[in-house]
Amino acid sequence: MLFQDIYRIISDKELIGYLFQGLGNTVVITVFAVLIGLFLGVAVAMVKIAAEHSKAMKIPAVICNIYTTVIRGTPVSLQLFIMVFGVLAIPGFKVYAAILTFGINSGAYVSENIRAGINSVDKGQTEAGRALGLSWGKTMRKIILPQAVKNVIPAIGNEMIALLKETSIISWIGATVGTITFDLNAAASTVNRTVVNYLASGIVAGAMYLAVVYLMILAVKLIERRLGKNERR
Amino acid sequence: MNEGKEVFFRSDDDALINVCGLYKYFGKTEVLKGVSCSIKKGEKVAIIGLSGSGKSTFLRCMNLLETPTYGEIWFENKLLTPVDPYLHADIIRKSRTYKEVRAKISAENPAFTETDADKAAISEIKAHDLLKKNEGKSYAAAIKAFYKSNFLDADLARRKIGMVFQHFNLFNNLTVLKNMTLAPVETGLYGKEEAEEKALGLLRRIGLADKADVYPATLSGGQKQRIAIVRALMMDPDVLLFDEPTSALDPEMVGEVLSLMKELANDGMTMVVVTHEMGFAKEVASRVIFIDDGVIKEENGPEEFFGEPKDERLKDFLSKVL
Repeated sequence: MLFQDIYRIISDKELIGYLFQGLGNTVVITVFAVLIGLFLGVAVAMVKIAAEHSKAMKIPAVICNIYTTVIRGTPVSLQLFIMVFGVLAIPGFKVYAAILTFGINSGAYVSENIRAGINSVDKGQTEAGRALGLSWGKTMRKIILPQAVKNVIPAIGNEMIALLKETSIISWIGATVGTITFDLNAAASTVNRTVVNYLASGIVAGAMYLAVVYLMILAVKLIERRLGKNERR
Repeated sequence: MNEGKEVFFRSDDDALINVCGLYKYFGKTEVLKGVSCSIKKGEKVAIIGLSGSGKSTFLRCMNLLETPTYGEIWFENKLLTPVDPYLHADIIRKSRTYKEVRAKISAENPAFTETDADKAAISEIKAHDLLKKNEGKSYAAAIKAFYKSNFLDADLARRKIGMVFQHFNLFNNLTVLKNMTLAPVETGLYGKEEAEEKALGLLRRIGLADKADVYPATLSGGQKQRIAIVRALMMDPDVLLFDEPTSALDPEMVGEVLSLMKELANDGMTMVVVTHEMGFAKEVASRVIFIDDGVIKEENGPEEFFGEPKDERLKDFLSKVL
């Protein structure tokens, strides 16, 4: 029964089509959210680190601290509701508002990862750069950040994997384009309306999530190995 | 350089580095308590002392890796720190406090000459830290004018003040060659090819030319430190600061680093070396400074310093390490 239903989902062009469409949308949402998250994360981390040295950055750093505290202190589903139905309640804008929400949410976590990565680089590296007459910014860019990036790749990879799955809550706000339900999670429910076997549709959709996550894990490992070449003896 | 300006503690205007009345607090801990010293061109100064005596902090203040709490650092007659008004009589004289204090002193001591009253007023102000409350305009302007005309940006100064660290601090993400060329190329001192040529020449000189394209993780401690030294040389510094350069090395590697330092000393490089290597201090240094409890306790040529030490703490220290 279960295998028959799984086979039916896989072989029925319309059903598997829904799922692949959903998967595609999930990946697109994740990619844009990751880009926003990385940009925000790096910017916020730099402001916080710079505030340790410069007075001009003190007030921006306070704002950044409020941002990371509030975002990390409230559930992402709540943030999504507030953004989609409150702050950015514009007709036809739901999906973009959702992407923005995921990006802003991710940025808070990414910034803490990057800050930890920068702080994990030996202080002597900064001192050596400054002692040679390089400015703080140049020392950061040429010496500290390249080493910090290597340290944070696993954590950032984790964050992206979590984000991919987090985007499944987009189906709660009923984000649709035309008549097509939107992400992979929503597509699974649509398929289930035809097949009426939660286990079967769940297993197929789950396998698709897993496949993408597994690819991400491999990519992170590959990047780690590439960047780690200067530490090998 | 500072015509008509009376500057306290600056014994020597020709000196490469002048440290004037340097205080450094970490929170409430006083690490340096009023250190003044000048380093002349070509001098090799060894700084010795117990751990925690403040000798490394003193060295790190010279290139502003640590920000002095009070006092001034002068490099090639340019000021690297903010003005410490207590070090400049002419600035004190422009303050309202000075006028008030001096008027009071003159009234109390009718026998005082102009100079006596001036001296008494200045020492009174310094003794009781009276300037803090004073916000007179002419005083602030005097500080600003003095600062502007003498100031040198720390980043610019550091290009001419090389530093060698206890833990080498080679850039882990760059090859040996890149480690050496990064700063001179980024600061515009040399073009890329020029810098690489110079770097390879220096590597050949220390016998490590074959290591140009490897990452620091593959090197021994002695090799790392020798490369750190020639990396500092890439900027053509006027003075090299060494912060316990051999303390993190395995014993069999100390010799190669010390012999490179001796070579530099013979070439006439100005050097300030914080070290535990008494042999090196005796042999190479032209002056030895003993720092204890945040102040310079003794300062002398190496023969007198090691031959007839006067300070009790120094005698005690030398009896333990020699």
